[in-house]
Amino acid sequence: MLDSFLFILIIGPFIAAVLCYIVRIPHIRSLIVLATGCLLAVTSVLLFINGSFSHTPPPLLGVPPRWWVLWADDILLLTMLYYAFKRRHLFSKILIIFQFVCLDYFELFMVDHDKVFPPFVADNLSLVMVLVISIVGSLICVFAIPYMNKHEAHQKLEKSRQPVFFAFLIVIMGAMNGLVLSNNIIFMYMFFEVTTLGSFMLISHDQTETAIRNSVRALWMNCLAGAAFIVAMIWAYVTQNTVEAQKLIAAGHMGGIMLMPLALLCFAGMVKAAQFPFQSWLLGAMVAPTPTSALLHSSTMVKAGVYIALRFAPGFAGTFLSQCLTACGAFTFLAASAMAVSQSNGKKILAYSTIGNLGLIFVCAGINTPEAITAAILLIIFHAFSKALLFLSVGGMEQHIGSLDIEVMRGLYARMPRTAIIAVLGIITMMLPPFGVLLSKWIAIEAASRHLFVIVPLAVGSALMVVYWSRWAGVLLSAPYEPHVAPEQQGVLTRLPLLALAGGAVLLSLCAPFLYAELVVPMLPAPPFTIRAGIFENPEGTFALYPITLVLALGFVCAVFAAGKARKARFEGPYLSGAQTADPETFEGPMGKPVAVTSGIYYFESIFGEEKLTVWANICGGMLMALLIGGAVR
Amino acid sequence: MRAVVLVIMGVVVAPLLGGLIAGVDRRLTAWFQSRYGPPVWQPFFDVAKLFGKERLLVNTWQVVCAYIYVTAAMLSVVLFFLQSDLLLILFVQAVGAIFLVMGAFSATSPFSQVGANRELIQILTYEPLIILVFVGIYLATGSFKISEIYSQTEPLLKSLPLLYIVLGYALTIKLRKSPFDFSTSHHAHQELVKGFLTEYSGPYLALVEIGHWYEVVLILGLCSLFWATSWVGIIVLVGITYLCEILIDNVMARMTWRWMLGSVWAMGLSMSFVNLIWLHGR
Amino acid sequence: MDALKAFIKKSRIKSPWLLHFDCGSCNGCDIEVLACLTPVYDIERFGIINVGNPKHADLFLVTGTVNHRNKKVLANLVAQMPDPKVVVALGACGLTGGVFREAYNVVGGVDKIVPVDVYVPGCPPKPEAIIDGVVTALRKFTRKKDDRP
Repeated sequence: MLDSFLFILIIGPFIAAVLCYIVRIPHIRSLIVLATGCLLAVTSVLLFINGSFSHTPPPLLGVPPRWWVLWADDILLLTMLYYAFKRRHLFSKILIIFQFVCLDYFELFMVDHDKVFPPFVADNLSLVMVLVISIVGSLICVFAIPYMNKHEAHQKLEKSRQPVFFAFLIVIMGAMNGLVLSNNIIFMYMFFEVTTLGSFMLISHDQTETAIRNSVRALWMNCLAGAAFIVAMIWAYVTQNTVEAQKLIAAGHMGGIMLMPLALLCFAGMVKAAQFPFQSWLLGAMVAPTPTSALLHSSTMVKAGVYIALRFAPGFAGTFLSQCLTACGAFTFLAASAMAVSQSNGKKILAYSTIGNLGLIFVCAGINTPEAITAAILLIIFHAFSKALLFLSVGGMEQHIGSLDIEVMRGLYARMPRTAIIAVLGIITMMLPPFGVLLSKWIAIEAASRHLFVIVPLAVGSALMVVYWSRWAGVLLSAPYEPHVAPEQQGVLTRLPLLALAGGAVLLSLCAPFLYAELVVPMLPAPPFTIRAGIFENPEGTFALYPITLVLALGFVCAVFAAGKARKARFEGPYLSGAQTADPETFEGPMGKPVAVTSGIYYFESIFGEEKLTVWANICGGMLMALLIGGAVR
Repeated sequence: MRAVVLVIMGVVVAPLLGGLIAGVDRRLTAWFQSRYGPPVWQPFFDVAKLFGKERLLVNTWQVVCAYIYVTAAMLSVVLFFLQSDLLLILFVQAVGAIFLVMGAFSATSPFSQVGANRELIQILTYEPLIILVFVGIYLATGSFKISEIYSQTEPLLKSLPLLYIVLGYALTIKLRKSPFDFSTSHHAHQELVKGFLTEYSGPYLALVEIGHWYEVVLILGLCSLFWATSWVGIIVLVGITYLCEILIDNVMARMTWRWMLGSVWAMGLSMSFVNLIWLHGR
Repeated sequence: MDALKAFIKKSRIKSPWLLHFDCGSCNGCDIEVLACLTPVYDIERFGIINVGNPKHADLFLVTGTVNHRNKKVLANLVAQMPDPKVVVALGACGLTGGVFREAYNVVGGVDKIVPVDVYVPGCPPKPEAIIDGVVTALRKFTRKKDDRP
């Protein structure tokens, strides 16, 4: 049973990817994608119901898994090397060759393969990650089917590049599943590298100059992460003589020498999660088609980085390394939120928001108390749903209006009511109670309150978040009144993922007490909260989730009801000093000619401008990272 | 049973109290300006009149946002009376503030748009400061719950004096008193006509006003927590604080948002930091 | 319910918010209106506030002769005032155009564009006269029917 589950979740996507690449008939490929998605989603639920496990799979086609992993690693690294040469990037070449040599030497000559241990171990963290990856990832893949058709129609491509696109999109899901279920650190490394290659290929999908440049940047940064990972692996093996992750985590408590590899692993995770100063690869990755941004760069792949930190967190709890991790995360949260305020490109706002939220998860991993871990896990779940929802909505908007600029999205409700409402809902679930992301943030703030240098950036960053989210939501609704707005055409495969993600974000928020009790508590030594009637209770704080949900929902129902009744009211245009004309979008200007009413959002470029802040943020981020690695030497 | 009474107090008594405070505010302002001013129950006449006006709208989002604003403000006051968690109260109150801004953004009037942008800057300015004040209370009492504050023997003002001043900044911004009244302002102090409330009229403006009363009660309630050990202390502290607010309002001119963001963050964050380090050191 | 309606009706008199518009006046009447707001006359003690926004106003004080340029603005402002509302024309110019009546650009009186409820003659009318006019206008709110004759 477990064998087949693992096969479906990890190997299945690799097979499906090959099929996607080989089968050139579009409809069959779409069916393959749909089928894979459904299969993954269902299997992940079954795996979760099955519970925690520790498993050694049988040899695949007669060959033990570790050989498959080594071959896969070599093929990956050689492919990356090929592209490094093609793009003529020296640093990438050096990093890849370094990884290749170290890895093969390590695997073939250093590791004692007679030590047997189950290479796949899952606790609730892994199972939750598998659920998120499989369900959210599958919905994104389904959305991608009509999206890519339209995308290529826009580009007027003669030869479709969709086979490669879908192949990598699905492969990454399999790699992520493998990463979170692995107990063997070499396996983790291999899946890590699959995501690096996948990200590189998908970012450069459109083959424009910007896309290629940004994909190379993503490549070298992620290769840097990979190199750090390998050094960590080898160092850990030299001190502990094992590649089993569980043993390495346990060994961390002995402190001292073991901290360095753990620090390097955290570094690798942080680069993967685009923390400062390595955030530019994620920002550049926004040139990729939107399903890529949704899958890789918000809901799943970057979560690999935080997963590594969370997984190894028990190993460095209470050490200086932990404090550095917290500091790096807090700084990233603040800097990313600040820079998002000056952005008008919708995807860049989402990218900065992702980086910020990942920083928050790192803060929680660093603080490492039961409350903090609760916050981290809940944030992973809720952020994945809401962020994927927002990315997909923005993708749909971009295809309809041809722009990602928020100013062009002004009044989108009048043109695309369904997408606009879903986007507004997504934004509300990202920042307001009673939804999950805010619940997680509340837990995180309460967990971080004793740490002065963490709570100040968290407080300021959280207020900045409110600014860039609420103005976007407001602007989407900013259209002159129309009694009847024609809903836009949306295919089934477009609407279904959006509704599923929106419904998921809302319903999961309501189920937060159950998620906490079933998913999080089993992982912790002591439950940080007691739940009574849907209220999270703890000597230090209380979050009355169900009561406030009830009251706010009632208020919302009254509001909608009143708005419905208000249709009989008198509708006049806005106040324009008495100079309004019959058209609500103009007023009477000089010589009696109509002048268009225009307004804009404040972007605060002089304070939060990207060009202004990036240099300083990178310097600070770099220093904090150096502290992280250097501090582990102590 | 006690909870039910507190809920009723929060829902019914709080806005009445808020309206009365608004009336006293106008009376005192008039006294500072050598005038008589309206009677103290003037705000109730204002709100009743507004409810009786014709419904004039620019779009239906205003309706939704006005109702959610009142709901959130009311809920935050009820949570305060039920002595719930301070951070939760802040976040619930933020729901209302954000929906009000969204409603303002949804109107295509330039006054509304600029007012909404400025209101966001005001929210940006006070929110981190209030979070840090709550963190200070947590460090002093060991919990974010208001019930813990009432079980202290010494008033919080003794250990959190600088944080009280920071709360005063947040109070001035929330009440939109000069020098922080650029997103909208009291009475007839127009700059952007009525700023982000320009397009709200009639019953919806009345709802917004009632929501504002709830928020005034909430913020003054937060001030009262700093001398929660005695009733006299509460009345004196809140009275003096509100008097200072009115005085500052009448003495200072409206400034710019840049000045607000710069000076309030500089003063507020540094005072918070000093006070929090102080608490850590104890 | 009836008590509530009665209270709302009473509040209309107790809290009239005014919009003041200069429709081509020499500013003499306008200065007198603003004088009413000063501590000497202090009409704020009657709950009157000068809101600059027709959407918030119950009472519309118009001065000036009204000319062909701003008649549209006048009509627009009154259209954006929610009911119940009263319009008060101030000064000789507002009534009939005053001494400027014969000029080519002058429409000659507010009531040529919008229905006026109360006329306050004077050039300029004294603040006491303006207050008297406003109080007369407020009586309209107590009438059984809120629509205009």
